[in-house]
This record gives sequence, structure tokens and C-alpha cells, in this order.
Amino acid sequence: MLQVRGLSAGYQGNDVVHDVSFHVDPGEAVMIIGSNGAGKSTLFKTICGLLPPSTGQIILNGEDLAGMPAQHLVPLGMSFVSPERHLFPRMTVQENLSLGAYPRRPDPETLSVVMDVFPRLAERRRQHAGTMSGGEQQMLAVGRALMAKPRLLLLDEPSTGLAPKLAHEAYEALRILRKQGLTVLIAEQQVPLAMAFSDRGYVLENGSIQMEGTSSDLARNPEVRRAYLGVV
Amino acid sequence: MTATVFDGVVLGLQFGLLAAGLTLVYGLGGVLMLSYGQISVVSAIVVLFAMDAGLPTLGAVGLGLLAGALMGLIHDLTILRPVYRLQGESRVLLSLLLTLGVAFMIDGLLNWRYPLQGLRMRVGSGPIEIIGVRMPAGSVVASVITIVTLTGLLLFLRTTTLGRAVRSVIQDEEGARMVGIDPSRMLRLILILSGFLAALVAVTRSMVIPVDVQAGFSITVLALIVTVVGGLGSVVGALLAGIILGIAYSIAAAQIGTFMSLVILLLAAAVTILIRPSGLLGVKE
Repeated sequence: MLQVRGLSAGYQGNDVVHDVSFHVDPGEAVMIIGSNGAGKSTLFKTICGLLPPSTGQIILNGEDLAGMPAQHLVPLGMSFVSPERHLFPRMTVQENLSLGAYPRRPDPETLSVVMDVFPRLAERRRQHAGTMSGGEQQMLAVGRALMAKPRLLLLDEPSTGLAPKLAHEAYEALRILRKQGLTVLIAEQQVPLAMAFSDRGYVLENGSIQMEGTSSDLARNPEVRRAYLGVV
Repeated sequence: MTATVFDGVVLGLQFGLLAAGLTLVYGLGGVLMLSYGQISVVSAIVVLFAMDAGLPTLGAVGLGLLAGALMGLIHDLTILRPVYRLQGESRVLLSLLLTLGVAFMIDGLLNWRYPLQGLRMRVGSGPIEIIGVRMPAGSVVASVITIVTLTGLLLFLRTTTLGRAVRSVIQDEEGARMVGIDPSRMLRLILILSGFLAALVAVTRSMVIPVDVQAGFSITVLALIVTVVGGLGSVVGALLAGIILGIAYSIAAAQIGTFMSLVILLLAAAVTILIRPSGLLGVKE
């Protein structure tokens, strides 16, 4: 579904991500793990078109999207959830969700799926996004992305700012969505959560892929265990 | 006194309409359009010439509004191109400089070619009485048009998908791109809309006082003051600030003298910035 080949990107000519290649197959959940500052967010922003790549290809369903701006990628079936959320603070939950379906009218079926997965959003329909708690805002950010009916969802640090219990709930919601056929690419610092959720993973350090494998293989790898799972 | 307040409300509605376009362009694109008043004046001249050429009043007004919208679009397609490449403060500064250049150019051209022209639309015959106050028909009609326009603008922004998309760019541009909204297309739409509003200002204003070719900069300055007091990016703020400042202006003009009215307006703007740096309904960044 998504193939990234030889991708380099960064800010003002200084590449943070170097020659990264990986792929995500339809129906898969793939994680990218790495320490803070490894380049995960830069990589995600580049894939979703918020940051232009310096070189490389980003191929979604056979089409090279490298250099296309974010607003043109959403109609092609790829949505992005940022750790900064970027909600519309002075609009209600309902309005935020409706805009998620832009330029179409919100599909009632998708809306009810979102409300089922995140019942809190249904309760807070008329509340302004800016007045909600961090956890609720995170749910809304995911919900808004789902309203576009993406086939591939890019999640950058979905557990940011969430209490452990809420982070687990968020991942439970993501499991439900996966069962409905959603393909997910996820970056996460809380590695155990991502590992339990994903099929395969890549380890990104200093802007390059250092390791790859199935999540269960990575979970058994001594280096990964020491660096990311806190096992001595 | 009641008459003075009424005059103030009439003026305030004008102020609100004046600021609505400017505040949206700034809130949406970080573009400070100082050629706004000149768009207004050129539209007025278009209406004047169309009427002189024998077009019926409504047709002439339609042509003027079209000219205003077209000038907004031309700004977007030409002079603002280099501005869009910049971000943040430098974007505001470059837009300010370039549109000021456009303003000088249009002003110079108008003063050279049509120095004595001015638009004055005569509406109705006698004054209209509203709760015991006799108001000139022109003021009443201008106010009704302004109220209808601003209500329509607010409804568009709040209830339509396109209007919400415009607001989403004001609230979080990156978020808007993430849901598939193209900020540059929204900005183009708003520039066309604000050109239209600038032209409408010329038409409604000319029902109250003549709009002559020298009026450009005073229109821009008034719009700027109202925009700052109302809060950048807020149409409701612009309307609220417009009415408050309009009443202050009228009372000052009646009690002290017209020479002090503009000083009072600037004073009100300065006090607002001291107390609420983001304006009445502006949002703190």
C-alpha cells in the first residue's frame, strides 16, 4: 500500500532523516520506534506532505506522492494524526468531525463508527475542541482523521499526553478500527504499547533505519529490549 | 442625544463592514492589505462612470461590486504571490509594503486622471422616522444593506462547509491542510470576498457622504483601527468594535467637534491594545 524509498528530509537543507526505506502492506499495522529526536516526527510529516522531502519516493498505491502538499493527499486515502493534534479550537466537536470529511458532507455511517469507538465524543458533541482535556482532544484528532475514510492512517505518538489508562483505551479503539480493515502506520515512544498492537516494526535511530522485523521478533531482540523496553 | 447615538450606529455599521474584509484577510493569510481603501474608491468610480454611461443604478452598482471582487482576485494572482512565500512577521511586513505601493499607485493615478470625481448616491426623497428620530433615507438604506450583508457573511462562515473551511484556516492552518483544505484557495476566496465588501463599502458610504478619489487612505485607516480594536480575524469583533467606535465618534463630533473624532478613535484603539492586546474578540496566540 505504502512504499517509502530512499527518503531524506529535514529543515532548511539540514536532513534529519537519511535514506529511509520501508513499506506497509494493506491491512497491516506497522510501527516505527526510536528514541526522542530519532527523526520519527520528521519522517511522518514528510510522508503526509507537511514537509517537502529532499530526495526519495513516497509511493501510495502505485503513485509517487513525494513533494505533494498535505491537502492533496487526504483525498487519496491517507490521513495523518499529529502529536500536536492541530484541532480547530473554537469549533465544536461536531464541526471538527464534519470538517474531517471535507469537501464532502460527513457520512452518517462513518460518524456513528467514530462515536461508537469514542463515546466521549458523542457526549461532548457541542463542546468547543479547545476546552476539552488532552485525552479527549486526542480522541477527536483520531476521529477527525477517520471522517475522511482513510485507507491508511498515520499516527504520530497517539499516546502523547495521555494517562496510562487512557493510552490503553486509545489502543483498544485502534484495534477495533484495524478489525474494520484500516491500515495503520504508527510512531510511538511508549514502545510496549506499539509492540503489542503492530504486526511489524522498524527501529529508527539518528534518522536511519537500524533494524526491522516482526513485532514479536523485535520484542525478543536483546538490543531492542535494552534500549526501548527498559530490560537490563 | 438619541439622534447622535443613531448617527453613531449608522456610522458604526459602516465601520464594521469596512473592517470585515480586512480582518478576514489578515486572520486567514497574515496579509495586511493597505490598498483596501483604494479598491473601494476605484469601485466607486466604476459605479459613477457606469451611471454616467446611462446604466440603471442597480446595474451600475453590480458592475462596481464586480470590479471590487476582481481587484481582490488580481491582488491574489499578482502582487501577493511573493508574499505567500514568506511566513510570520516577514509576511505581514512584505504585504504591508507591497499593498501600500499599490495604494500609492492607484491614488496617484486617480488624482491625476479624475481629481474632481466623487460618488454620491441619492436614496429616497425625505427623511424616515424611526422611534421618533428623523434619519436621512440614505443612512437607513445603507444600514439595512450593511446589516443584511454582515448577517449573510456570518451565516456563510458559521453554517456552510466552505465557510467553516475558511474559519478552520484562521484557527489552525496546519490542521486545515491535514483534513484536505487548501489554505491558498481559501485565501483567494476571501480576497475576492473582501474586494466585494470594499466595493460595497463605497456604495453604502456614498449614500451618506460623497466618496471622492481622495477617500482611499482614510477608509483604510478607519478599517485598520476598527480591525485592531475588534480583534484580528473576527467578523463579530469587527462589527462590535465598529458600533462602539461609531457611537464614540458621533458623540465626540457632536460634543467636542469633528476635529477631535479621529483622535478619540485612535485613543480608543490605543486603550484597547493596552488592556486587551488581541482586541475585543481576538484570540491570544
